[in-house]
Amino acid sequence: MSSRTSNAPLTGLAQFDRTTSIWGPITLALGFLVSLGAALFVAFGTGLGITAAELWKAVGLVIVTFGVIAVVEPIAYYPILGRSAMYQAFMIGNIANKLLPAALIAQTDLGEKPGTRRAELIAGAAIIGAAFIHLITLVVLVGILGTLLLAAMPPDLVAIARLYILPAVFGAVTVQAVVTMKNVRITVIAAVIAALLVFVVVPLVPALANLATASAVVIAIVAAWFLRKRTEGPPAAPQSIGH
Amino acid sequence: MHPAVIDPNSTEILPVAFHPVLWVAAAGVFAVIILQSVIYLRAIRKAGAEARLTDRQVGRAVRAGAVAAIGPSLAVALVAVSLLPLFGTPAVLTRIGLVGSAAFDVAAAGLAAGTQGAQLGGPTYTQKVFAIGFAAMTLGGLVWMVTALILTPILSRGDKALRRVNPAVMTVVPAAALLAAFFTLAFAETVKSPVHLVTLLVSAAVMGLCLLGAKYLKKSWLHEWGLGIAIVVALAVAYFMTAT
Repeated sequence: MSSRTSNAPLTGLAQFDRTTSIWGPITLALGFLVSLGAALFVAFGTGLGITAAELWKAVGLVIVTFGVIAVVEPIAYYPILGRSAMYQAFMIGNIANKLLPAALIAQTDLGEKPGTRRAELIAGAAIIGAAFIHLITLVVLVGILGTLLLAAMPPDLVAIARLYILPAVFGAVTVQAVVTMKNVRITVIAAVIAALLVFVVVPLVPALANLATASAVVIAIVAAWFLRKRTEGPPAAPQSIGH
Repeated sequence: MHPAVIDPNSTEILPVAFHPVLWVAAAGVFAVIILQSVIYLRAIRKAGAEARLTDRQVGRAVRAGAVAAIGPSLAVALVAVSLLPLFGTPAVLTRIGLVGSAAFDVAAAGLAAGTQGAQLGGPTYTQKVFAIGFAAMTLGGLVWMVTALILTPILSRGDKALRRVNPAVMTVVPAAALLAAFFTLAFAETVKSPVHLVTLLVSAAVMGLCLLGAKYLKKSWLHEWGLGIAIVVALAVAYFMTAT
């Protein structure tokens, strides 16, 4: 960011930095508030009798399991996205599979390499184009056609899709994570710990069933850290569960 | 708005999943993304001259980004549609419209259901379980927005403490966390029923084939479409196994 005196008229890039450093956080915070409102409404506003304790127990478990990834991802993406695009990317999502390729293709198209101010502006513009397509396909294919499809589906098909969606998602996602990480040592450590918890610990102490995933994450982080290869280089591409 | 059909113990989740307030929230999220895009586009155009970027080139960058996003967007839409029976349209739109993913959202909702002694999708998947699952995946997903909001200004000041973090932390910790989470979630599915086990294995095998195809046949679209294809094939296998 360029330094500037507080009262000088801002032009060009300084104005861009100012606008995005104000409106980036404001719009991201707005998205945050809308989501927060929706979540709290569903939990407490629909008359389902959900207590705060029940909700925080569930949310706490999710945060213990995935919180560390939520802290690492912004740090990992920052050098690639740059400051202004961070506020776009963490609102729109699909960073690794959609926004980064879109930004890179636009930069190549206009003969720019990542890292310059011009590249930052091109990336911002490309992300806007990608977000536009993202919203259109969601509205048309998911919002309209998907909802019609759901209404037209026979109830037994809907029931199957509900009942078996978890294994259908987790099988593919686990393979994807293994291939993306390209780290045999951590893969083996994580798989052994997960297997011990699911097939040995939980059958012995069924009360721990809900804590299995969070425990596996914590134990695997500690184990992988102490058993890591000491020669490993700096991180390559950011690791993501698809955000 | 549906006072007559709200019932915590009902497995008919549609009155909650398709609640008008959730549609409004989904529309609100989309409106915020559009607002941000308009503000950013104006700022980029104004700054362009100083960075040798004409308005024409800005337009070209927007178009290039849009074209590049068509394939991934269609692939994401397929995954999103497969989640509609479980979560309903507004939840899927809000979660995937904002930072979110099938992997995280299903995992988060599944963990939340577990705290109620319930499972997603089955006979214990009541309105109450849906509501807690939706709230937990949304509030859990908000952690990413909070960390981005807090860390971005710190990182842009080139914070020394963050830069001094051992690079191994950035590789080992997220890899271990992610792999442990999904191995545990995947293994937990195998003990639910033989159909769950087969569905999981089919999904994993199809994804493996897609990734191999992407690598060795140089079909990079298989990389984007892998998850969607794996889900659809695995669900189809589950359907035929339970139909006979």
